[in-house]
Amino acid sequence: MSDLSGREENRYGSLEKMSLHFSGNRALVLGGTCELALTLAQSMIESDLFPILTYRDDKGLKAIGEVLRPFQGRYATCFLNFGDRDSLESVFSQIGDDLNFLVDFAQGNYENLIAGADEDSVYRYFTENISSRAEILKKVGRAMLKKRKGRLVFISSAAAVRPNPGQGFYAAAKLASEALYRNMGLELGERGVTTVILRPGYINAGRGRIYLQKQNRKILDAVPIKRAITGEEIAQTVLFLLSEGAAGINAVEITMDGGHTSGK
Amino acid sequence: MDVFTELKKIIEELMDIKDRNITPETLLIQDLGAESIDLLELAVTINSRFKIAVRDDEIFLTRFRLYSAEAKQQGEDTMHYIAGKYPFLAKDRIAEIMAHVKEGPQLKIKDLISYVTYRSQWV
Repeated sequence: MSDLSGREENRYGSLEKMSLHFSGNRALVLGGTCELALTLAQSMIESDLFPILTYRDDKGLKAIGEVLRPFQGRYATCFLNFGDRDSLESVFSQIGDDLNFLVDFAQGNYENLIAGADEDSVYRYFTENISSRAEILKKVGRAMLKKRKGRLVFISSAAAVRPNPGQGFYAAAKLASEALYRNMGLELGERGVTTVILRPGYINAGRGRIYLQKQNRKILDAVPIKRAITGEEIAQTVLFLLSEGAAGINAVEITMDGGHTSGK
Repeated sequence: MDVFTELKKIIEELMDIKDRNITPETLLIQDLGAESIDLLELAVTINSRFKIAVRDDEIFLTRFRLYSAEAKQQGEDTMHYIAGKYPFLAKDRIAEIMAHVKEGPQLKIKDLISYVTYRSQWV
């Protein structure tokens, strides 16, 4: 594809890669073993950021090691299990509190009809996905407050506001977490700590890819751009949101779903 | 540097105040106009500079009135009950706060000094 000047567009559809400026380079990436986080980590390293990816088991740690093998010494890993409060406590003793960015992909999956859900699972799910997140946010917020600078991006989902049957708990956890991030930006914005929430729609990566395959991709007909969002696009958008140029975007949600939720 | 001098310096830095006659008797909220964001930042900085664990609702006596009401409700001696909750406060200081609590938040610089001193003993 080319524009009128004849310049070639790159694979992100832009004329050339934007030059992004970042304040600091240390980025804690929660849920660091998912495909989107690993794609982002590579883009971060290429932009001279230093991602610290959290994992909760050996399998996750191995996945990070395999994908990021070419980048030895340019990233770190950190054990964090949202279901284990001791591990929440130990995060900062592992990585120190020198932190400039947080990108949060962490999200447990619990699909069930509300009227059919197991009570214990519900309590555990909300504790892990909301209360634990609030605890991490408190620690990260305080660490960033010391510097009077910090940027947090929460990866939510378009399904937070347009869930399918069975996604009630997922949507509830996402909306509650969005509220935590939004308020953090309201409360600490004047001290240089800001937040933004990204709500991707159908994604051709991770759990999204499995869902699209199950649906035979027909659901994409309802998406104005007629395709899913790619992991690369998410990574580039998150990088922009972390950059100084996006600092005015605070305490707000951005939907990145190809226009899906704007129409009928 | 003693605890008071260091705390005074921190407060002047964080709240961007100069030429104020800050003493241990200065009220943080009523005299200096500290807001919740200022207190949050103060807690974080005290934690960092003095290397002590800080519980915000403890150091800022946030629940003083609540504890006072709880003591009455449970038929307990208020002084004794509050001393159990805020072990870093001397009894005469608790009495002083109780006498003035209706006038608004009574948090003074000297309470922060007591907290930092008390917590430093447990490092």
